[in-house]
Amino acid sequence: MNERERLLRRLSSYDFAVTELHIYLDTHPDDVNASQALADYENKSCQLREEYEEKFGPLTPANETGNRWAWIADPWPWN
Amino acid sequence: MWVYEKKLQYPIKIKQTNPQLAKIIISQYGGPDGELGASLRYLSQRYSVPYPEIKAILTDIGTEELAHLEMIGTIVYQLTKNLSMEEIKNSGFDSYFVDHTTGIYPASSSGMPFNAAAMQVKGDIITDIHENLAAEQKARTTYDNILRFCDDPDVTDPIRFLRAREVVHYQRFGEALRIVTDKLDSKNFYAFNPEFDRQKK
Repeated sequence: MNERERLLRRLSSYDFAVTELHIYLDTHPDDVNASQALADYENKSCQLREEYEEKFGPLTPANETGNRWAWIADPWPWN
Repeated sequence: MWVYEKKLQYPIKIKQTNPQLAKIIISQYGGPDGELGASLRYLSQRYSVPYPEIKAILTDIGTEELAHLEMIGTIVYQLTKNLSMEEIKNSGFDSYFVDHTTGIYPASSSGMPFNAAAMQVKGDIITDIHENLAAEQKARTTYDNILRFCDDPDVTDPIRFLRAREVVHYQRFGEALRIVTDKLDSKNFYAFNPEFDRQKK
């Protein structure tokens, strides 16, 4: 596993926690502990996402930095 | 609207191709209980629902199903990379190959193209949530059946992740059903359809 894959794995694990807590909160909107955990993971994800995108290019089209090739470039997720 | 993220929900890196397994797993791409049907079902059901919690859960789970569709496409793609004609013939992948080469086409394992007849949007939230509870269990069974055919940890690992998500979604839909019935007439949940009838006071 190279550094890009390692970083992406960590980011995916934070983002998974965000997805899971977010869906849980749809049916438990008053769960304060879950909302706090969601905020924590969103924070962690946000920081790591910045680091990843700086090193390996944008993860969403909105975060493109002027270099058109950074978005187009391989690898795509299925590669 | 949606925003694409250039990453998978769960990492997939398959080293050993296996066209026979690919032909089985394609069912979760475009088969009767697959991820395409799942996302279309939830994302279509949500429009006429009057309750905000239910709009949220259908939108969020429907969106996650799109990420699962991409994972299944990735698994099938990686299982069928750089195949020789010999491997294609011997694995039984030839009947898929003749129509689609190694492209990813939404069909069931038996070759039936994706068909919306395997899903329902009934316009009655009690009925639709029961449809969804059943759909999550049908997908869970399909993943259990897929796991009977594979021993490569590169494949079983993401398939187990997807199977676990079906169980979690089933749980959330169970809670959604409770949220809906709490808003209805406790003496008769079926007294009126909240997606169509005006509530009788």
